[in-house]
Amino acid sequence: MTQSKTGTRPDRPDLSIEGIRNFLAAIIASSDDAIISKDLNGIITSWNDGARRIFGYVAEEMVGQPILRLIPIELHHEEDFILSKIRSGERIDHFETTRMKKSGEKFPISVTISPIKDESGTIIGASKIARDISERRRLDDSRYRLAAIVDSADDAIISKNLDGIITSWNNGARRLFGYEPEEIVGQSILTLIPNNLRHEEEEILRRLRVGDNIEHYETTRLSKQGEIREVSITVSPIRNAKGEVIGASKIARDVSNQKKVERLAIEAEKIATTGRMAAAIAHEINNPLASVLNLVFLARQPDLSNQEIRDFLETAESELERVSHIARQTLGYYRDTGKPSEVHLKDLMENVLSVYRSKLLAHDITVESRFTDLRKIRVRTGEVVQIFSNVVCNAIDAMPHGGTLSIRTTRIVRTEGDAIQVVISDTGSGIAREHLDKVFEPFFTTKGNLGTGIGLWVAKQLVERHGGQISISSSTDRGNSGTIVTMTFPFRGAEDEGVGSGRER
Amino acid sequence: MVYLGSVICLPEGRPPRPLEFPKPASEMHRHSVQKPRVLVVDDERILADTTAAILRRAGFETMAAYDGFSALDNAASFNPDYLLTDIMMPVMNGIELAITLTKMYPALRILLFSGQAGIANILEKSSRMGFEFPLLAKPVHPMKLVESLKALREN
Repeated sequence: MTQSKTGTRPDRPDLSIEGIRNFLAAIIASSDDAIISKDLNGIITSWNDGARRIFGYVAEEMVGQPILRLIPIELHHEEDFILSKIRSGERIDHFETTRMKKSGEKFPISVTISPIKDESGTIIGASKIARDISERRRLDDSRYRLAAIVDSADDAIISKNLDGIITSWNNGARRLFGYEPEEIVGQSILTLIPNNLRHEEEEILRRLRVGDNIEHYETTRLSKQGEIREVSITVSPIRNAKGEVIGASKIARDVSNQKKVERLAIEAEKIATTGRMAAAIAHEINNPLASVLNLVFLARQPDLSNQEIRDFLETAESELERVSHIARQTLGYYRDTGKPSEVHLKDLMENVLSVYRSKLLAHDITVESRFTDLRKIRVRTGEVVQIFSNVVCNAIDAMPHGGTLSIRTTRIVRTEGDAIQVVISDTGSGIAREHLDKVFEPFFTTKGNLGTGIGLWVAKQLVERHGGQISISSSTDRGNSGTIVTMTFPFRGAEDEGVGSGRER
Repeated sequence: MVYLGSVICLPEGRPPRPLEFPKPASEMHRHSVQKPRVLVVDDERILADTTAAILRRAGFETMAAYDGFSALDNAASFNPDYLLTDIMMPVMNGIELAITLTKMYPALRILLFSGQAGIANILEKSSRMGFEFPLLAKPVHPMKLVESLKALREN
């Protein structure tokens, strides 16, 4: 409509003074900031809509009033300073101070004040653009608070962008990894990841891009000095205001101590298992040795016929064969070097069964076994003997009045690679439902003082070190009770243990 | 223990042949002199039999049993002065046998005979019940065994 009045063409801005004034007035009226003008005596001469919203006064209330009404009494001196600057033609930029609303409420404000000149260049007043910065102050405060929390945290808190470049680095990170923020911010997160675990980062980034969280993932990282750090990490996506993932925050907790304690517990259990097995082996060996002593003693009695002597010695010989057989079978695993070797799992199981032969016999336990794993598997034999020993001992303990111990080993075919499955089941008293969830936790036992509570926990750690799984199911139903422990050992399991993973001693 | 299936290889080697242990000539006149009587119990038959033979040569009258229940059965007719028993045995262990026989024959002297270190629990249980029995560790030289039994008689 304007164009028909003024006669200007629509594609041409109205450059008349009237037009420019209208244009500026429209900008001032629509501004979110307060735009106020005042004369050199500090009397308000104009008041826009933004000023009304911020201070609460309408223009009619304020035009003609001294600007001091907006300034808290204790800050009145500021106005003298501002006016002196304006008179000398200077501009004041982004001056942060406090002003007062109509309600009397004080609030933080950022003001920019410029002198207004007339046509001759004489300064006749000032324009003042003021922005309410309480929201920004609040954000700043919470940001500083968060920064303080992040910095005082014991955990390493690191943020990175989607290219894996580190963007922030707290004190905890400095302590854990040894890098100063200046050294590491801007570097790739791969700096912290051992070479053989770099594939982890791709997987982490892939999951982040789709917005997944990664929680309590246990892995190892490298410090500046190249030392292995065992950490539990939680990674969460960082999103911008539009909800797009723009990076990740990563919290890493040092679990080296916890791991050290776990390893000590495993070592202690190994010694305990060795002790238990040694006691059982002693029984197996001492009995035939006692017989041999008796037989040799009898054979050298003076009043015997040659035939009698030969009979004693032959029996002694067969008893000695028995001792050698037991020694071969049961003491072999003590030579275990900790390195994986190719074995038949059934041989290891038979070793364990021969160690506990007397115990099984004494408890009137029948052993049913079916071994159909014909292929050798690469395992750390000492550890597997320990796993089997722990599970078999539990089965024996569950059957004080006899029963059947049933053992199966079979090869199973899976998409993720073939494995040997070992199933050990007993017809014992069973494990109550409420205990079943806890049997793999350390120091949980249902055997009172007789149990250490770490047998199955250790078995689980050792099975997992072989890349396998262990699970348990049990029934306490009278007449049908018993426990089934199922373990799988993948054919490629023991080999995969990373050199740099820090899990090897 | 019965192993079903065909795969477990028992560690015993070949099965022991039944042995005939020669009896000394003096055995024929055993009723003329009152000899101390020893009941030897072990589920290892060879060990029970050879131990009995050695003790007979050392002047004891002996009977061998291979489990706790047959030992109980035979005790009534044999009327032993001594019980020499293994501890870890199927069905009834040596301590249970010793406790039962002590109640039946308060004068009976008992010597335990074990090849296993892991019997602490059983011993602890019996001592809580008020029973303390001397224990010999297998293997033991036959002469030492005889001395131990004789020492038991003198105490």
